[in-house]
Amino acid sequence: MAPEPYLQFDGITKFFGDLEVVAPTFNLTIKRNEFIVFLGPSGSGKTTLMRMVGGLETPSTGEIRLHGRPITEPDRDRGMVFQSYSSFPWLTVAENVAYGMKYRLDMTPERKKARLDHYLKLVGLSDFANSYPNKVSGGMRQRIAIARTLAAGSDVLLMDEPFGALDAQRREDLQIELRRIQQQDAKTIIFVTHDVDEAVFLADRIVVFSKRPARMLEEVDIAAALGPDRTLELRDSERFFKLRTEVLKFVRAAAGQDN
Amino acid sequence: MTSEATVSTPAEGQDSLTAIPVSKPRNVRKRTRNQFFAFRGTLSRSAQIITSISASLFVIALWEISTRLGWINSLFLPPPSVTVETLWTMITQKHLLWNAGISTLRVWVAFTLSVVMAVPIGIAMSSFRGVGAALEPIVDFIRYLPVPALVPLSIIWFGVGETTKIFLLWLGTFFQLVLLVADDMRRVPQEYVEIAYTVGARPFQMLKDVALRAMLPNLFDNLRITLGWCWTYLIIAEIVAADNGLGFVIWAARRYMNTSEVMAGVVTIGIIGLLTDQILRLIHKRLFRYL
Repeated sequence: MAPEPYLQFDGITKFFGDLEVVAPTFNLTIKRNEFIVFLGPSGSGKTTLMRMVGGLETPSTGEIRLHGRPITEPDRDRGMVFQSYSSFPWLTVAENVAYGMKYRLDMTPERKKARLDHYLKLVGLSDFANSYPNKVSGGMRQRIAIARTLAAGSDVLLMDEPFGALDAQRREDLQIELRRIQQQDAKTIIFVTHDVDEAVFLADRIVVFSKRPARMLEEVDIAAALGPDRTLELRDSERFFKLRTEVLKFVRAAAGQDN
Repeated sequence: MTSEATVSTPAEGQDSLTAIPVSKPRNVRKRTRNQFFAFRGTLSRSAQIITSISASLFVIALWEISTRLGWINSLFLPPPSVTVETLWTMITQKHLLWNAGISTLRVWVAFTLSVVMAVPIGIAMSSFRGVGAALEPIVDFIRYLPVPALVPLSIIWFGVGETTKIFLLWLGTFFQLVLLVADDMRRVPQEYVEIAYTVGARPFQMLKDVALRAMLPNLFDNLRITLGWCWTYLIIAEIVAADNGLGFVIWAARRYMNTSEVMAGVVTIGIIGLLTDQILRLIHKRLFRYL
Protein backbone atom coordinates (compact mmCIF):
# COMPACT_ATOMS: atom_id res chain seq x y z
CA MET A 1 0.00 0.00 0.00
CA ALA A 2 1.36 3.40 -0.95
CA PRO A 3 1.96 5.72 2.01
CA GLU A 4 -0.86 8.21 2.64
CA PRO A 5 0.17 11.75 1.58
CA TYR A 6 0.73 14.02 4.60
CA LEU A 7 -1.44 17.01 3.71
CA GLN A 8 -3.67 16.88 0.68
CA PHE A 9 -6.00 19.39 -1.01
CA ASP A 10 -8.43 17.25 -2.98
CA GLY A 11 -10.81 18.85 -5.48
CA ILE A 12 -11.27 22.11 -3.60
CA THR A 13 -13.55 24.94 -4.72
CA LYS A 14 -14.83 27.82 -2.64
CA PHE A 15 -17.66 30.28 -3.10
CA PHE A 16 -18.67 33.09 -0.77
CA GLY A 17 -22.23 33.42 -1.99
CA ASP A 18 -21.88 34.14 -5.72
CA LEU A 19 -18.25 35.12 -5.39
CA GLU A 20 -15.89 32.46 -6.66
CA VAL A 21 -12.80 32.51 -4.47
CA VAL A 22 -11.10 29.27 -5.44
CA ALA A 23 -11.52 28.13 -9.05
CA PRO A 24 -12.46 24.49 -9.67
CA THR A 25 -10.58 22.56 -8.75
CA PHE A 26 -7.57 23.04 -6.52
CA ASN A 27 -5.39 19.99 -5.87
CA LEU A 28 -2.10 19.93 -4.01
CA THR A 29 -0.14 17.40 -2.01
CA ILE A 30 2.26 18.57 0.66
CA LYS A 31 4.99 16.41 2.15
CA ARG A 32 5.79 16.25 5.84
CA ASN A 33 8.34 18.91 6.89
CA GLU A 34 7.88 20.78 3.66
CA PHE A 35 7.93 24.59 3.56
CA ILE A 36 5.26 25.64 1.08
CA VAL A 37 4.80 29.27 0.07
CA PHE A 38 1.54 30.46 -1.47
CA LEU A 39 2.56 33.39 -3.64
CA GLY A 40 0.15 35.61 -5.51
CA PRO A 41 -1.65 38.93 -5.73
CA SER A 42 -3.44 40.25 -2.64
CA GLY A 43 -7.03 39.08 -2.32
CA SER A 44 -6.42 36.14 -4.63
CA GLY A 45 -7.93 33.48 -2.37
CA LYS A 46 -4.66 31.97 -1.17
CA THR A 47 -5.41 32.98 2.39
CA THR A 48 -8.78 31.28 2.12
CA LEU A 49 -7.08 28.05 1.06
CA MET A 50 -4.72 28.27 4.00
CA ARG A 51 -7.57 28.98 6.41
CA MET A 52 -9.29 25.84 5.18
CA VAL A 53 -6.29 23.86 6.42
CA GLY A 54 -6.74 25.60 9.76
CA GLY A 55 -10.37 24.48 9.80
CA LEU A 56 -11.48 28.14 9.90
CA GLU A 57 -13.20 27.91 6.50
CA THR A 58 -15.01 25.00 4.88
CA PRO A 59 -14.46 24.18 1.21
CA SER A 60 -17.58 24.40 -0.99
CA THR A 61 -16.55 21.13 -2.61
CA GLY A 62 -13.75 18.64 -2.03
CA GLU A 63 -11.84 18.05 1.16
CA ILE A 64 -8.49 18.62 2.77
CA ARG A 65 -6.93 15.64 4.51
CA LEU A 66 -4.18 15.58 7.11
CA HIS A 67 -2.75 12.10 7.76
CA GLY A 68 -5.63 10.87 5.59
CA ARG A 69 -8.24 12.36 7.98
CA PRO A 70 -10.55 15.07 6.57
CA ILE A 71 -10.18 18.45 8.27
CA THR A 72 -13.49 19.66 9.67
CA GLU A 73 -12.61 22.06 12.50
CA PRO A 74 -9.68 23.90 14.05
CA ASP A 75 -7.40 21.98 16.39
CA ARG A 76 -3.96 22.39 17.89
CA ASP A 77 -2.19 20.18 15.34
CA ARG A 78 -2.56 23.15 12.96
CA GLY A 79 -1.43 26.48 14.40
CA MET A 80 -2.05 29.93 12.94
CA VAL A 81 0.18 32.99 12.92
CA PHE A 82 -1.62 36.13 11.78
CA GLN A 83 -0.22 39.37 10.45
CA SER A 84 -1.95 41.49 13.09
CA TYR A 85 -3.53 40.79 16.48
CA SER A 86 -1.13 37.87 16.69
CA SER A 87 -0.73 37.99 20.49
CA PHE A 88 -3.04 38.83 23.38
CA PRO A 89 -2.25 42.28 24.83
CA TRP A 90 -3.47 41.37 28.34
CA LEU A 91 -0.97 38.52 28.73
CA THR A 92 2.79 38.86 29.20
CA VAL A 93 5.13 37.45 26.56
CA ALA A 94 5.59 34.25 28.60
CA GLU A 95 1.86 33.93 29.31
CA ASN A 96 1.14 34.37 25.61
CA VAL A 97 3.49 31.56 24.70
CA ALA A 98 2.16 29.39 27.54
CA TYR A 99 -1.37 30.00 26.25
CA GLY A 100 -0.55 27.56 23.45
CA MET A 101 -0.49 24.76 26.06
CA LYS A 102 -3.35 26.00 28.23
CA TYR A 103 -5.80 23.33 27.09
CA ARG A 104 -3.32 20.45 27.04
CA LEU A 105 -4.36 18.17 29.87
CA ASP A 106 -1.79 15.59 28.81
CA MET A 107 1.15 17.70 30.04
CA THR A 108 2.24 18.17 33.63
CA PRO A 109 2.87 21.75 34.82
CA GLU A 110 6.60 20.95 35.01
CA ARG A 111 6.62 19.82 31.40
CA LYS A 112 4.72 22.93 30.34
CA LYS A 113 7.24 25.09 32.16
CA ALA A 114 10.14 23.31 30.49
CA ARG A 115 8.54 23.70 27.06
CA LEU A 116 7.79 27.35 27.73
CA ASP A 117 11.43 28.04 28.59
CA HIS A 118 12.59 26.06 25.57
CA TYR A 119 10.44 27.94 23.07
CA LEU A 120 11.03 31.35 24.62
CA LYS A 121 14.73 30.70 24.19
CA LEU A 122 14.29 29.31 20.68
CA VAL A 123 12.70 32.54 19.45
CA GLY A 124 14.99 34.71 21.58
CA LEU A 125 12.39 36.16 23.93
CA SER A 126 13.66 34.86 27.30
CA ASP A 127 14.73 38.35 28.36
CA PHE A 128 11.27 39.75 27.63
CA ALA A 129 9.28 36.98 29.32
CA ASN A 130 7.52 39.33 31.73
CA SER A 131 6.94 42.24 29.37
CA TYR A 132 3.56 42.97 27.86
CA PRO A 133 3.30 42.82 24.06
CA ASN A 134 2.78 46.59 23.76
CA LYS A 135 6.27 47.05 25.23
CA VAL A 136 8.06 44.92 22.63
CA SER A 137 8.67 45.44 18.89
CA GLY A 138 6.47 44.18 16.08
CA GLY A 139 9.06 41.55 15.22
CA MET A 140 9.01 40.25 18.77
CA ARG A 141 5.22 40.07 18.71
CA GLN A 142 5.43 37.85 15.64
CA ARG A 143 7.97 35.68 17.45
CA ILE A 144 5.55 35.38 20.38
CA ALA A 145 2.98 33.99 17.97
CA ILE A 146 5.45 31.56 16.44
CA ALA A 147 6.57 30.34 19.87
CA ARG A 148 2.95 29.94 21.03
CA THR A 149 2.13 27.85 17.98
CA LEU A 150 5.21 25.68 18.47
CA ALA A 151 4.51 25.30 22.20
CA ALA A 152 0.97 24.18 21.37
CA GLY A 153 2.59 21.25 19.60
CA SER A 154 1.29 22.14 16.15
CA ASP A 155 2.85 20.05 13.41
CA VAL A 156 1.54 22.34 10.73
CA LEU A 157 2.16 26.09 10.90
CA LEU A 158 -0.16 28.30 8.89
CA MET A 159 1.29 31.77 8.45
CA ASP A 160 -0.65 34.58 6.80
CA GLU A 161 1.85 37.28 5.78
CA PRO A 162 3.28 37.15 9.29
CA PHE A 163 6.15 39.52 8.52
CA GLY A 164 4.11 41.93 6.41
CA ALA A 165 4.24 44.83 8.85
CA LEU A 166 7.94 44.60 9.70
CA ASP A 167 10.87 46.64 8.48
CA ALA A 168 13.29 45.01 6.06
CA GLN A 169 16.00 44.17 8.58
CA ARG A 170 13.72 42.48 11.15
CA ARG A 171 11.99 40.70 8.36
CA GLU A 172 15.23 39.17 7.16
CA ASP A 173 16.22 38.15 10.70
CA LEU A 174 12.89 36.47 11.27
CA GLN A 175 12.98 34.70 7.92
CA ILE A 176 16.32 33.13 8.77
CA GLU A 177 15.04 32.24 12.23
CA LEU A 178 11.83 30.72 10.93
CA ARG A 179 13.66 28.61 8.41
CA ARG A 180 16.04 27.41 11.13
CA ILE A 181 13.16 26.52 13.48
CA GLN A 182 11.35 24.71 10.69
CA GLN A 183 14.43 22.59 9.97
CA GLN A 184 15.25 21.99 13.62
CA ASP A 185 11.74 21.11 14.83
CA ALA A 186 10.68 19.44 11.57
CA LYS A 187 7.53 21.46 10.99
CA THR A 188 5.34 21.61 7.93
CA ILE A 189 4.63 25.23 7.01
CA ILE A 190 2.20 26.91 4.66
CA PHE A 191 3.26 30.52 4.31
CA VAL A 192 1.18 33.10 2.46
CA THR A 193 2.92 36.15 1.01
CA HIS A 194 2.99 38.44 -2.01
CA ASP A 195 6.71 39.16 -1.58
CA VAL A 196 8.71 37.26 -4.21
CA ASP A 197 12.01 37.67 -2.40
CA GLU A 198 10.59 36.27 0.81
CA ALA A 199 8.95 33.40 -1.03
CA VAL A 200 12.12 32.27 -2.76
CA PHE A 201 14.23 32.62 0.36
CA LEU A 202 11.89 30.59 2.58
CA ALA A 203 10.26 27.99 0.40
CA ASP A 204 10.97 24.42 -0.45
CA ARG A 205 8.25 24.81 -3.01
CA ILE A 206 6.36 27.88 -4.24
CA VAL A 207 2.82 27.73 -5.52
CA VAL A 208 2.11 30.77 -7.71
CA PHE A 209 -1.53 31.83 -7.74
CA SER A 210 -3.62 33.74 -10.25
CA LYS A 211 -5.86 36.65 -9.39
CA ARG A 212 -9.17 35.67 -7.83
CA PRO A 213 -10.61 33.11 -8.27
CA ALA A 214 -7.45 31.39 -7.07
CA ARG A 215 -5.93 28.98 -9.56
CA MET A 216 -2.51 27.38 -9.38
CA LEU A 217 -0.43 28.86 -12.21
CA GLU A 218 2.99 27.46 -11.46
CA GLU A 219 4.78 25.23 -9.02
CA VAL A 220 8.45 26.08 -8.48
CA ASP A 221 10.71 23.58 -6.77
CA ILE A 222 13.06 25.81 -4.78
CA ALA A 223 14.53 23.07 -2.60
CA ALA A 224 16.01 21.37 -5.68
CA ALA A 225 17.76 24.60 -6.66
CA LEU A 226 18.78 26.07 -3.31
CA GLY A 227 18.96 23.13 -0.89
CA PRO A 228 17.73 23.15 2.70
CA ASP A 229 20.04 25.76 4.27
CA ARG A 230 19.16 29.41 3.78
CA THR A 231 21.77 31.96 4.75
CA LEU A 232 22.49 35.62 4.11
CA GLU A 233 25.24 34.65 1.66
CA LEU A 234 22.74 32.63 -0.34
CA ARG A 235 20.52 35.67 -0.53
CA ASP A 236 23.28 37.62 -2.28
CA SER A 237 24.23 34.78 -4.61
CA GLU A 238 23.77 34.56 -8.36
CA ARG A 239 21.70 31.35 -7.96
CA PHE A 240 19.21 33.10 -5.68
CA PHE A 241 18.97 36.10 -7.95
CA LYS A 242 18.28 34.02 -11.06
CA LEU A 243 15.60 31.98 -9.32
CA ARG A 244 14.01 35.13 -7.98
CA THR A 245 13.86 36.64 -11.48
CA GLU A 246 12.26 33.48 -12.80
CA VAL A 247 9.58 33.44 -10.11
CA LEU A 248 9.00 37.16 -10.56
CA LYS A 249 8.20 36.47 -14.22
CA PHE A 250 5.47 34.04 -13.18
CA VAL A 251 4.08 36.55 -10.71
CA ARG A 252 4.03 39.29 -13.34
CA ALA A 253 2.19 36.96 -15.67
CA ALA A 254 -0.30 36.21 -12.89
CA ALA A 255 -0.88 39.90 -12.26
CA GLY A 256 -1.20 40.71 -15.95
CA GLN A 257 -3.64 37.98 -16.94
CA ASP A 258 -7.24 38.98 -17.50
CA ASN A 259 -9.36 36.36 -15.84
CA MET B 1 9.55 72.84 36.68
CA THR B 2 10.90 69.50 35.55
CA SER B 3 8.08 69.13 33.08
CA GLU B 4 8.90 72.44 31.42
CA ALA B 5 12.50 71.38 31.06
CA THR B 6 11.40 68.15 29.34
CA VAL B 7 9.14 70.02 26.97
CA SER B 8 11.92 72.33 25.89
CA THR B 9 14.47 69.63 25.09
CA PRO B 10 13.56 69.01 21.41
CA ALA B 11 13.62 72.73 20.69
CA GLU B 12 17.07 73.05 22.20
CA GLY B 13 18.28 70.21 20.03
CA GLN B 14 16.90 71.97 17.00
CA ASP B 15 18.65 75.17 17.97
CA SER B 16 22.06 73.58 18.13
CA LEU B 17 21.45 72.02 14.71
CA THR B 18 20.39 75.20 12.95
CA ALA B 19 22.73 77.28 15.11
CA ILE B 20 20.28 80.10 15.57
CA PRO B 21 20.88 81.75 18.92
CA VAL B 22 17.61 81.97 20.81
CA SER B 23 17.44 82.97 24.44
CA LYS B 24 16.43 79.99 26.53
CA PRO B 25 13.52 81.32 28.61
CA ARG B 26 11.64 82.65 25.58
CA ASN B 27 12.13 79.34 23.86
CA VAL B 28 10.67 77.40 26.78
CA ARG B 29 7.58 79.56 26.84
CA LYS B 30 7.05 79.15 23.16
CA ARG B 31 7.24 75.36 23.29
CA THR B 32 4.81 75.19 26.20
CA ARG B 33 2.25 77.29 24.40
CA ASN B 34 2.61 75.16 21.28
CA GLN B 35 1.91 72.00 23.26
CA PHE B 36 -1.07 73.62 24.92
CA PHE B 37 -3.00 74.19 21.71
CA ALA B 38 -1.30 71.68 19.43
CA PHE B 39 -3.77 69.26 17.86
CA ARG B 40 -3.41 66.04 19.89
CA GLY B 41 -0.42 67.60 21.65
CA THR B 42 0.69 66.28 25.02
CA LEU B 43 0.70 68.05 28.37
CA SER B 44 2.52 66.96 31.47
CA ARG B 45 0.33 65.55 34.22
CA SER B 46 0.91 68.47 36.55
CA ALA B 47 0.16 70.96 33.77
CA GLN B 48 -3.11 69.15 33.06
CA ILE B 49 -4.14 69.17 36.72
CA ILE B 50 -3.30 72.85 37.07
CA THR B 51 -5.29 73.66 33.91
CA SER B 52 -8.30 71.65 35.13
CA ILE B 53 -8.32 73.31 38.54
CA SER B 54 -7.78 76.81 37.15
CA ALA B 55 -10.63 76.42 34.68
CA SER B 56 -12.97 75.20 37.42
CA LEU B 57 -11.93 78.03 39.74
CA PHE B 58 -12.49 80.53 36.94
CA VAL B 59 -16.08 79.33 36.40
CA ILE B 60 -16.78 79.43 40.13
CA ALA B 61 -15.28 82.91 40.44
CA LEU B 62 -17.29 84.20 37.47
CA TRP B 63 -20.42 82.72 39.02
CA GLU B 64 -19.70 84.37 42.40
CA ILE B 65 -18.88 87.76 40.89
CA SER B 66 -21.86 87.87 38.56
CA THR B 67 -24.26 87.36 41.45
CA ARG B 68 -22.38 89.69 43.81
CA LEU B 69 -22.39 92.49 41.26
CA GLY B 70 -26.07 91.91 40.66
CA TRP B 71 -25.74 90.80 36.99
CA ILE B 72 -27.86 87.86 37.99
CA ASN B 73 -30.54 87.90 40.65
CA SER B 74 -29.17 85.72 43.44
CA LEU B 75 -32.70 84.52 44.14
CA PHE B 76 -32.49 82.61 40.87
CA LEU B 77 -28.84 81.71 41.00
CA PRO B 78 -27.36 81.75 44.50
CA PRO B 79 -23.60 82.39 44.49
CA PRO B 80 -21.19 79.54 45.28
CA SER B 81 -20.47 80.92 48.76
CA VAL B 82 -24.14 80.71 49.68
CA THR B 83 -24.48 77.31 48.05
CA VAL B 84 -21.59 75.93 50.09
CA GLU B 85 -23.06 77.44 53.26
CA THR B 86 -26.44 75.86 52.53
CA LEU B 87 -24.72 72.59 51.71
CA TRP B 88 -23.17 72.58 55.16
CA THR B 89 -26.46 73.42 56.90
CA MET B 90 -28.19 70.66 54.95
CA ILE B 91 -25.52 68.15 55.92
CA THR B 92 -25.64 69.03 59.59
CA GLN B 93 -29.35 69.69 60.00
CA LYS B 94 -31.30 68.19 57.12
CA HIS B 95 -29.80 64.72 56.60
CA LEU B 96 -28.39 65.58 53.17
CA LEU B 97 -25.81 62.79 53.36
CA TRP B 98 -28.49 60.29 54.30
CA ASN B 99 -30.55 61.32 51.26
CA ALA B 100 -27.46 61.22 49.07
CA GLY B 101 -26.75 57.73 50.40
CA ILE B 102 -30.26 56.55 49.55
CA SER B 103 -29.95 57.92 46.02
CA THR B 104 -26.52 56.34 45.53
CA LEU B 105 -27.86 53.03 46.79
CA ARG B 106 -30.78 53.17 44.34
CA VAL B 107 -28.43 53.96 41.48
CA TRP B 108 -26.13 51.07 42.33
CA VAL B 109 -28.90 48.51 42.88
CA ALA B 110 -30.52 49.37 39.55
CA PHE B 111 -27.20 49.63 37.77
CA THR B 112 -26.03 46.26 39.09
CA LEU B 113 -29.30 44.71 37.99
CA SER B 114 -28.83 46.20 34.51
CA VAL B 115 -25.25 44.99 34.25
CA VAL B 116 -26.01 41.48 35.47
CA MET B 117 -28.69 41.17 32.80
CA ALA B 118 -27.12 43.18 29.98
CA VAL B 119 -23.67 41.57 29.92
CA PRO B 120 -24.73 37.96 29.25
CA ILE B 121 -27.61 38.97 26.97
CA GLY B 122 -25.43 41.41 25.04
CA ILE B 123 -22.72 38.79 24.59
CA ALA B 124 -25.30 36.25 23.42
CA MET B 125 -26.78 38.78 20.97
CA SER B 126 -23.48 39.36 19.21
CA SER B 127 -22.22 35.79 19.47
CA PHE B 128 -25.30 33.98 18.17
CA ARG B 129 -26.96 35.42 15.09
CA GLY B 130 -30.30 33.88 16.11
CA VAL B 131 -30.38 35.61 19.49
CA GLY B 132 -29.29 38.86 17.88
CA ALA B 133 -31.95 38.69 15.17
CA ALA B 134 -34.63 37.93 17.76
CA LEU B 135 -33.74 40.62 20.30
CA GLU B 136 -32.36 43.54 18.29
CA PRO B 137 -35.71 44.95 17.05
CA ILE B 138 -37.25 44.65 20.52
CA VAL B 139 -34.29 46.28 22.23
CA ASP B 140 -34.11 49.03 19.62
CA PHE B 141 -37.79 49.82 20.01
CA ILE B 142 -37.68 50.11 23.78
CA ARG B 143 -34.37 51.95 23.70
CA TYR B 144 -35.99 54.88 21.92
CA LEU B 145 -38.85 55.22 24.38
CA PRO B 146 -38.16 58.19 26.66
CA VAL B 147 -38.13 56.98 30.26
CA PRO B 148 -40.37 59.84 31.54
CA ALA B 149 -43.08 58.64 29.16
CA LEU B 150 -43.18 55.37 31.04
CA VAL B 151 -43.42 56.90 34.52
CA PRO B 152 -47.25 56.82 34.67
CA LEU B 153 -47.34 53.19 33.59
CA SER B 154 -44.69 52.12 36.06
CA ILE B 155 -46.55 53.86 38.90
CA ILE B 156 -49.71 52.02 37.90
CA TRP B 157 -47.77 48.76 37.83
CA PHE B 158 -45.57 49.08 40.88
CA GLY B 159 -47.05 51.91 43.00
CA VAL B 160 -44.73 54.57 44.35
CA GLY B 161 -42.36 52.31 46.29
CA GLU B 162 -38.77 51.38 45.58
CA THR B 163 -39.73 48.99 42.79
CA THR B 164 -40.86 51.85 40.56
CA LYS B 165 -37.60 53.73 40.99
CA ILE B 166 -35.44 50.69 40.38
CA PHE B 167 -37.60 49.79 37.38
CA LEU B 168 -37.25 53.24 35.81
CA LEU B 169 -33.48 53.27 36.26
CA TRP B 170 -33.20 49.77 34.90
CA LEU B 171 -35.38 50.74 31.95
CA GLY B 172 -33.16 53.70 31.16
CA THR B 173 -29.90 51.79 31.26
CA PHE B 174 -30.48 48.12 30.45
CA PHE B 175 -31.57 48.58 26.85
CA GLN B 176 -28.73 50.98 26.09
CA LEU B 177 -26.18 48.83 27.82
CA VAL B 178 -27.18 45.60 26.15
CA LEU B 179 -26.40 47.08 22.73
CA LEU B 180 -23.10 48.53 23.94
CA VAL B 181 -22.09 45.13 25.33
CA ALA B 182 -23.05 43.45 22.06
CA ASP B 183 -20.91 45.98 20.22
CA ASP B 184 -17.94 45.45 22.53
CA MET B 185 -18.11 41.73 21.87
CA ARG B 186 -18.45 42.29 18.13
CA ARG B 187 -15.26 44.36 18.15
CA VAL B 188 -13.14 41.52 19.60
CA PRO B 189 -10.76 40.74 16.72
CA GLN B 190 -11.63 37.53 14.91
CA GLU B 191 -7.91 36.66 15.08
CA TYR B 192 -8.11 36.29 18.88
CA VAL B 193 -11.02 33.89 18.56
CA GLU B 194 -9.17 31.88 15.93
CA ILE B 195 -5.95 31.75 17.98
CA ALA B 196 -7.98 30.21 20.82
CA TYR B 197 -9.58 27.61 18.57
CA THR B 198 -6.31 26.64 16.89
CA VAL B 199 -4.67 25.87 20.24
CA GLY B 200 -7.56 23.60 21.11
CA ALA B 201 -9.97 25.79 23.12
CA ARG B 202 -13.62 24.72 23.35
CA PRO B 203 -16.16 27.51 22.64
CA PHE B 204 -16.79 28.16 26.34
CA GLN B 205 -13.04 28.33 27.04
CA MET B 206 -12.58 30.73 24.12
CA LEU B 207 -15.34 32.95 25.51
CA LYS B 208 -14.00 32.93 29.06
CA ASP B 209 -10.25 33.14 28.43
CA VAL B 210 -10.14 35.27 25.30
CA ALA B 211 -13.30 37.07 24.17
CA LEU B 212 -14.26 38.31 27.64
CA ARG B 213 -10.73 39.38 28.44
CA ALA B 214 -10.41 41.17 25.11
CA MET B 215 -13.65 43.13 25.52
CA LEU B 216 -13.13 43.99 29.19
CA PRO B 217 -11.46 47.43 28.82
CA ASN B 218 -14.20 48.69 26.48
CA LEU B 219 -16.90 47.10 28.60
CA PHE B 220 -15.56 48.82 31.69
CA ASP B 221 -15.64 52.19 29.91
CA ASN B 222 -19.20 51.66 28.75
CA LEU B 223 -20.29 50.70 32.26
CA ARG B 224 -18.72 53.88 33.59
CA ILE B 225 -20.64 55.98 31.07
CA THR B 226 -23.92 54.16 31.65
CA LEU B 227 -23.60 54.65 35.40
CA GLY B 228 -23.70 58.40 34.72
CA TRP B 229 -27.02 58.06 32.86
CA CYS B 230 -28.45 56.28 35.88
CA TRP B 231 -28.34 59.54 37.80
CA THR B 232 -30.48 61.31 35.21
CA TYR B 233 -33.22 58.72 35.52
CA LEU B 234 -32.85 58.63 39.29
CA ILE B 235 -33.74 62.30 39.63
CA ILE B 236 -36.76 61.83 37.39
CA ALA B 237 -37.86 58.85 39.46
CA GLU B 238 -37.33 60.63 42.77
CA ILE B 239 -39.12 63.77 41.64
CA VAL B 240 -42.25 61.87 40.69
CA ALA B 241 -42.42 59.24 43.35
CA ALA B 242 -40.30 59.54 46.47
CA ASP B 243 -40.17 61.02 49.93
CA ASN B 244 -36.41 60.80 50.24
CA GLY B 245 -33.30 60.92 48.07
CA LEU B 246 -31.59 63.83 46.33
CA GLY B 247 -34.27 64.20 43.68
CA PHE B 248 -36.87 64.57 46.41
CA VAL B 249 -34.70 67.12 48.27
CA ILE B 250 -34.30 69.24 45.14
CA TRP B 251 -37.98 69.08 44.24
CA ALA B 252 -39.08 69.87 47.80
CA ALA B 253 -36.79 72.92 47.95
CA ARG B 254 -38.24 74.18 44.65
CA ARG B 255 -41.67 74.36 46.21
CA TYR B 256 -40.47 77.12 48.56
CA MET B 257 -38.30 78.84 45.93
CA ASN B 258 -35.36 77.81 48.07
CA THR B 259 -32.90 78.02 45.20
CA SER B 260 -29.80 77.67 47.36
CA GLU B 261 -31.04 74.26 48.55
CA VAL B 262 -31.85 73.27 44.96
CA MET B 263 -28.35 74.34 43.99
CA ALA B 264 -26.82 72.46 46.92
CA GLY B 265 -28.65 69.28 45.86
CA VAL B 266 -27.48 69.67 42.28
CA VAL B 267 -23.92 70.29 43.40
CA THR B 268 -24.06 67.16 45.58
CA ILE B 269 -24.99 65.08 42.53
CA GLY B 270 -22.15 66.69 40.60
CA ILE B 271 -19.64 65.88 43.32
CA ILE B 272 -20.80 62.26 43.61
CA GLY B 273 -20.56 61.92 39.83
CA LEU B 274 -17.11 63.46 39.68
CA LEU B 275 -15.78 61.26 42.49
CA THR B 276 -17.29 58.05 41.08
CA ASP B 277 -15.92 58.78 37.65
CA GLN B 278 -12.42 59.55 38.93
CA ILE B 279 -12.36 56.39 41.07
CA LEU B 280 -13.53 54.25 38.15
CA ARG B 281 -10.92 55.82 35.86
CA LEU B 282 -8.26 55.00 38.41
CA ILE B 283 -9.45 51.39 38.62
CA HIS B 284 -9.45 51.22 34.81
CA LYS B 285 -5.85 52.38 34.75
CA ARG B 286 -4.82 49.83 37.37
CA LEU B 287 -6.71 46.93 35.78
CA PHE B 288 -5.57 47.56 32.23
CA ARG B 289 -1.93 48.51 32.67
CA TYR B 290 -1.13 46.60 29.49
CA LEU B 291 -3.00 49.04 27.25
